[in-house]
Amino acid sequence: MSALVIAEQREGKLNRATWEAIAGAQQASGAIRIVMPGAGVDAVAGEVAAAACDEVIAIDDAALEHYTADGYVMALAALIEREKPALVFLPHTYQTRDFAPALAARLSRALITDVTAVKKDGERIVYVRPMFQGKLNADVAAAGPPPHIVTFQIGAFRGDAATRGAAAAPVRKSGITIDASAIRQKPEAPFKEAKQAVDLSQAERIVAVGRGIKGQENLKIAEELSQAMGAEVAASRPICDAGWLPMDRQIGSSGQTVAPKLYVALGISGAIQHLVGMKGSRTIVAINKDADAPIFEVADYGIVGDLFEVVPAMIAELKKG
Amino acid sequence: MDRETLEVDILIVGGGPAGMSAALRLAQLQKQQGGEPLTIAVLEKAREVGAHMLSGAVLDPRALEDLVPGFRQKGAPLASEVHHDHVYFLTHGRKFAFPITPPPLKNHGNYIISLNRFVKWLGGLVEAEGVDVFTGFAASELLFDDDRVVGVRTGDRGIGRHGEVKSTFEPGVDVRARVTILTDGVRGNLTKSLVRRLALDDGRSPQIYALGIKELWEVPKDRVPPGTVIHTMGYPLRMEEFGGGFIYVMPDGVVSVGFVSGLDYRDPMFDPHVTFQHFKRHPLVSAMLQGGQMVRYGAKALPEGGWHSIPRAYGDGVLVAGDAAGFLNSMRLKGIHLAMRTGMLAAETAFEAVRANDVSAAKLQAYERRIDASDVRSELHPVRNVHQSFGHGLLAGLAYSGFSLISGGWWVRDPMPSHAGFERMLKIADYYKDGRPDPDATVRPARIDRQITFDRLTNVHFSGTRHAEDQPSHLIVLDTDICRTRCREEYGNPCTRFCPANVYEMVDAGDGTKKLQINASNCVHCKTCDIMDPYQIIEWVPPEGGGGPNYDGM
Repeated sequence: MSALVIAEQREGKLNRATWEAIAGAQQASGAIRIVMPGAGVDAVAGEVAAAACDEVIAIDDAALEHYTADGYVMALAALIEREKPALVFLPHTYQTRDFAPALAARLSRALITDVTAVKKDGERIVYVRPMFQGKLNADVAAAGPPPHIVTFQIGAFRGDAATRGAAAAPVRKSGITIDASAIRQKPEAPFKEAKQAVDLSQAERIVAVGRGIKGQENLKIAEELSQAMGAEVAASRPICDAGWLPMDRQIGSSGQTVAPKLYVALGISGAIQHLVGMKGSRTIVAINKDADAPIFEVADYGIVGDLFEVVPAMIAELKKG
Repeated sequence: MDRETLEVDILIVGGGPAGMSAALRLAQLQKQQGGEPLTIAVLEKAREVGAHMLSGAVLDPRALEDLVPGFRQKGAPLASEVHHDHVYFLTHGRKFAFPITPPPLKNHGNYIISLNRFVKWLGGLVEAEGVDVFTGFAASELLFDDDRVVGVRTGDRGIGRHGEVKSTFEPGVDVRARVTILTDGVRGNLTKSLVRRLALDDGRSPQIYALGIKELWEVPKDRVPPGTVIHTMGYPLRMEEFGGGFIYVMPDGVVSVGFVSGLDYRDPMFDPHVTFQHFKRHPLVSAMLQGGQMVRYGAKALPEGGWHSIPRAYGDGVLVAGDAAGFLNSMRLKGIHLAMRTGMLAAETAFEAVRANDVSAAKLQAYERRIDASDVRSELHPVRNVHQSFGHGLLAGLAYSGFSLISGGWWVRDPMPSHAGFERMLKIADYYKDGRPDPDATVRPARIDRQITFDRLTNVHFSGTRHAEDQPSHLIVLDTDICRTRCREEYGNPCTRFCPANVYEMVDAGDGTKKLQINASNCVHCKTCDIMDPYQIIEWVPPEGGGGPNYDGM
């Protein structure tokens, strides 16, 4: 079945979740093509052409320079109607959440969101999506005529697991033009916080601290470890509630959801509210005094011990290398 | 400030069984009687209809039959008819079946339901009649013209944690109505302020509450036949404490298991959540849950005071129905049908008053006469002293319950004297005469295995509760100094125990003492803290509209 993967970029910078969507699409379908909407996207289209795919289709139009729901729905609906794929995949990003429902409604096609796994049931593709905040997994199949539109949960597939092609895939222009006057939204300049907000979902390594850190003055030990590892510092809720770290560093159900390659949890007991925000991490290392702490149920490597003894030893070892 | 105003004829505040029944009844009256169409609106603080609904629940279908004739054919979501009734007295590790099912606990002809699904369905019928249901809007205050209620103001949106105005700020809307029907549920914030302002509880007994904590489980099918209803008394409560457990079995292995604890306990160290965990570890319950999965959690207070605790439920321009006014039969553990019935009677009264162009208290007093002539009185009046009698312990309560069946509720002193629950809580020094327990530890801890028993924080996750983080705390503690000094000494901070959602925590203040931390975003809107705080300094106000639990299927 032919599939389109809708890539996401902003100002020419690829959103990492695109690779995850490519990996998911490759599992679901043998023949995938990647669509890159935007303006001046040659370089970023070339970047995703490294994936094993039939081709990359660039919808390059000045009207798509800044994201608008109308612009994206118009461009993608026109392309999908022309190319007639059986499946359309997107990463479940904030931007996708904004326009995918409208796209599905415009095409009158089924939309399955937040998919975490793909299974084959004979000819049919069955999608797994979480319910009850991740407590249950439902198997869902799309009804109605193709194409079916599917979004993949961030972190459900590993971007580095996407198969790369032997040679770069060809990039072609879609030839689709957009009537800029039909776009109703008028985007203003992107809102930038005075202080650079961190996007932890893009971090490859994270050192997270919890209540076990005891006092704000002890945060420097976590900062030292993160510097030695090239990691971002994050925290569980109590740390941010106490104001020891800003709220944008909070991981969990009321903070960010992350899936880095390496997640080091220092003194985090592993309340379920925290686990749902980081359990997709590839490798989890937990250091906690309490051997019964739930964090050890999700950890790949667990150290039962005092973080104030273990972490300095880790830093010393990392500095040797 | 620029505030929008919406004018309606009849406004219903709170989209629960009472509010939705009122709305549907109004739409029906409109259809039957014709005339100038009335505008009707329902305000509901939950993001979607039914999301804050929590009950056992076993439904007595009497009111439903009158409201929606042929409800079975009209798709009412009734999980199962009740086929088996069991009542047990539990001791540690053992159970004793009652020789006969006490008449109030006979449930044949009733239905096990999910109140969430049931109210969603009712809401659908209401919307199909063209009534506007505004979800995600909490009414934050009543609007008065002298002492006449003329509507409500909804809460502002986009206020930051420290009260600052954010870029998303939207002022609340003034919804002005000729008659406002308050169905804001147990310890509703508007009803509370109305009762205070107009002294509607003058000469009435204090309301007595209980806290129900419930989980929804999925267990292997056919372990227990669907339609089974089990009620328990005794363990893990002691003779001095009121309450009991319930297990309702629905099809497909879905089981509702919960525990109700009277909020009139004397032991300041009593912990309803831990009590629920002990209940689940009793062999009767654990055998049923073993190998299953907990899928939802929630908690809600219940008004159990009965007939004598119901305030005057009308005023100029206003009527109160359902749990907000305390229409609940604590002997039968049922209130949904009474909420529906009083909602319908309030609707009839409001409709008549608006048509007659007279919405004064004198006109709306017809509501009281309607209630007195209905099955609400005939059900509640004979058991008017039963809950109060349990204030003298389980045995006294059971004895009086039996007696009341013969005496028609008569007692030497009628109303039987009673106290508000929070007044009954003893100070640690008076209750624990042989030594002071650690206020940060549990006196009778339950083992938490994360299979059958859970800690509070894990449970909260399964309530699905969410609030915008950057907003002022909607739990207002008037003086947190009392928490760290007086309360810690006198009661050992009982809020950390009676709150089923880990909202209240005593954390290190950094100087060797403890201070109160309010995790407001954990709140499941059960109202227990507002009810049970011994100093009555906790005020529950609605958070930004849309915040709160998500009781899907509960």
